[in-house]
Amino acid sequence: MRSKLSMLFAGVLLFALPGAAFAAKDLVVGVPANLTGLDPADLNDNLSQSAARLMFEGLYMLDEHMKLQPQLAESYEASEDAKEFTFHLRKGVTFQDGSPFDAAAVKFSFDRAGNPENHLKRQSLFVMIAHTDVVDDYTVRVVLKYPFGAFVNDIAHPGALIVSPKSVQQYGKEVTRHPSGTGPYEFVSWSADTLKMKKNEHYWKAGLPKIETITYRSVPENGARIAMLQAGEAQFIYPVPPELIASLKNSSTITVFDEPSILGRYIALNNMRKPFSDPRVRLALNYAVDKQAFIKVVFNGHADPMDSPMPPLLGFYQKQGSYPYDPAKAKALLAEAGYPNGFESTLTGAVDTLTQRGMQFIQQQLAIVGVKVNVEPLEAGVLTAKEFNVKSPEDATIVMLYTGWSSSTGDADWGMRPMLYTKSFPPVLANLAWYSNPVTDAAIEEGLATVDPSKRATAYAKAQAQVWQDAPWIFLSVDHDLAAYSKNLHGAFMRPDQQFHLTADASLD
Amino acid sequence: MLDYLIRRLGGTIPVLLAVSAFVFLFVHLLPGDPARLVAGPDASPQDIAAVRADMGLDRPLIVQYLRYLGQTAQFQFGRSIKTHQTVAELIGERFMPTLLLTVSAMLWSVIVGVGIGVLSGVKRGRWQDQVSMVLAISGISFPSFWLGLLLIDLFSVRLGWLPTGGYGTWQSFVLPAFTLGTGVAAVMARFTRSAFVEIAGEDYVRTARAKGVPERSVVWKHTLRNALIPVITLTGLQFGFLLGGAIVVETVFAWPGLGRLLVDSVSYRDYPVIQAEILLFSFEFVLINLLVDLLYGVVNPEIRLR
Repeated sequence: MRSKLSMLFAGVLLFALPGAAFAAKDLVVGVPANLTGLDPADLNDNLSQSAARLMFEGLYMLDEHMKLQPQLAESYEASEDAKEFTFHLRKGVTFQDGSPFDAAAVKFSFDRAGNPENHLKRQSLFVMIAHTDVVDDYTVRVVLKYPFGAFVNDIAHPGALIVSPKSVQQYGKEVTRHPSGTGPYEFVSWSADTLKMKKNEHYWKAGLPKIETITYRSVPENGARIAMLQAGEAQFIYPVPPELIASLKNSSTITVFDEPSILGRYIALNNMRKPFSDPRVRLALNYAVDKQAFIKVVFNGHADPMDSPMPPLLGFYQKQGSYPYDPAKAKALLAEAGYPNGFESTLTGAVDTLTQRGMQFIQQQLAIVGVKVNVEPLEAGVLTAKEFNVKSPEDATIVMLYTGWSSSTGDADWGMRPMLYTKSFPPVLANLAWYSNPVTDAAIEEGLATVDPSKRATAYAKAQAQVWQDAPWIFLSVDHDLAAYSKNLHGAFMRPDQQFHLTADASLD
Repeated sequence: MLDYLIRRLGGTIPVLLAVSAFVFLFVHLLPGDPARLVAGPDASPQDIAAVRADMGLDRPLIVQYLRYLGQTAQFQFGRSIKTHQTVAELIGERFMPTLLLTVSAMLWSVIVGVGIGVLSGVKRGRWQDQVSMVLAISGISFPSFWLGLLLIDLFSVRLGWLPTGGYGTWQSFVLPAFTLGTGVAAVMARFTRSAFVEIAGEDYVRTARAKGVPERSVVWKHTLRNALIPVITLTGLQFGFLLGGAIVVETVFAWPGLGRLLVDSVSYRDYPVIQAEILLFSFEFVLINLLVDLLYGVVNPEIRLR
């Protein structure tokens, strides 16, 4: 009877409290697509990786400014030749399934992800590892086959998040639906288009996290996602298309997030094909595009012009300058190269609205200097086949490709090597400009051969300067991350790698 | 009757077999390398090879087809390439949202559509007819994504009465069912009206009137009953289409249905899911057609099933 009475009393009290006091502690994040899984070693999309990052942790992580921060490791030492890395692990951490986090778990995660027989999608992050050794319970040493100066950045990638060995043994491949990491939030359920997580009560950072539950809801329509935020059904939404940002700026309850990302956007010109094999033509096209106007028209101003082959937030970035808009100079260069009346070419790209708009803008700009461009939008599957199903530069059917790159390790190596290194010609990696310069190649190799930051900086400065001068691409812009969130949410960001990110002490009033 | 049912259901087997072969070939002939898509833009050749082996795509096409056929015959549809969930589970969790949305949209739109159609037919040329047909034309012309967003803005953002989307409470059905049904109701109204007008001009209707049959009986018994036959056919077709998932409405209202699943699967080249979904749609169509044929007999006992 007494308990009934007290329940009644509690109930009355609850109703008497002002509404705000019981605002749901559930953080709803409106995202554009469905997850593909939650096994960190088997993910390649930003969305699933961002969810995995809430449940799992890595030895190191990249913070919201793309700076390396220790997470499950407290410190590391690297050998001079960048071939041996020793990590000292945090003690007293347990996985959400109750098993302990230790050196054996790190070895297990790396061995598993790097083993080709496991068919996991992030295998390439681990190809340089010769073996991983447990030195003692809280020390692990990774020995590489060849020098790899960007190794700590490499394992700060979400593909190298540490998984509970117990969960993998228990669920096998199904672990993608039964994730267990050491992160601040733990898995509750995932069905159709909704992922639910709750606070990890045993999280190693005392008193954290502050948010009780998190729900990811997939809402593909841009307008509907914005409506969700406006109606208070979601507290964070991304992406917001550039043309809709202005409509949210004046709201008293909504904050707009508008910060530079690490996605560089450019047109890869086929450097092995005429007329783009002539450097004067490539330079001419760079002068022919008004980058400020491009940003204004395509991104409503929410982007920055590219001023190096790499976006500014990547490690070892160095500003190179600009190719100012100068159609007269472009025409002169074209004439010098033997194309006084321009030429005709095809610009290939994806089918999404922003890409379409971008390609059409380029088409108009190049027409001014006499280059007639046909725009060829292709569905994702067809486009990747056309890009990568090639055996040699002669097979390549794409001559101008509207594309972009985001280096998910935050380091210069992955920001340049995949697209600008001779050994990265498709199908190996994404050197879709078929750009090859021994000076650039040597600099990229130097950058990987050491862990010494000053030597690496010198090497990548050389590489960036050379690429900028060679202009294998039409350098366009660096996208901004555009998102919006309600003012009662604190500590939520879009990371520059375009993933949703919560700081450790994020909260929801 | 039972004989007829068994024969009709038996007849679906060759249809489904043909569909399975066609769909299998079709999805495998789609340009684009699924392993490359699944592995992602920054994948290395090792990553892609790993994915290809994982998907079983490194085997000859005929081997893949026979394996698929064998498994399908045992009602095993494999696992999604994208999420590793079993296809049965994946489709299972999307089926109810689509079915319930379809039923609720069809229910109101058929009643309202046929009602408006009959009213227009009866009051042909008068203001009721004109208003109804303006409504119907508007209903057909409103793009559903636009109507959906407009409704969300009004009822969810401004008034706060209904959720913007998602599948759950009864409130979550109101806007998507209304949006989805609008087009159907409009088509129904136009179609019913023309069927009604056509039948109303038939000799036997004129004869009934001449014989002094009360007007009410002429409308309901002689005209509507016969006009309903093509309307039922249309209802069946619309129902079948909607069961395939209303892609636009599901997208606008973040509805976890089969339409969105199919689009996702196609853009991801998730072969097992595409194949199973299309097989399911074909089966649904066959079933609905059968149902429509049975309904003819109910509406007009003159029609006998043999």
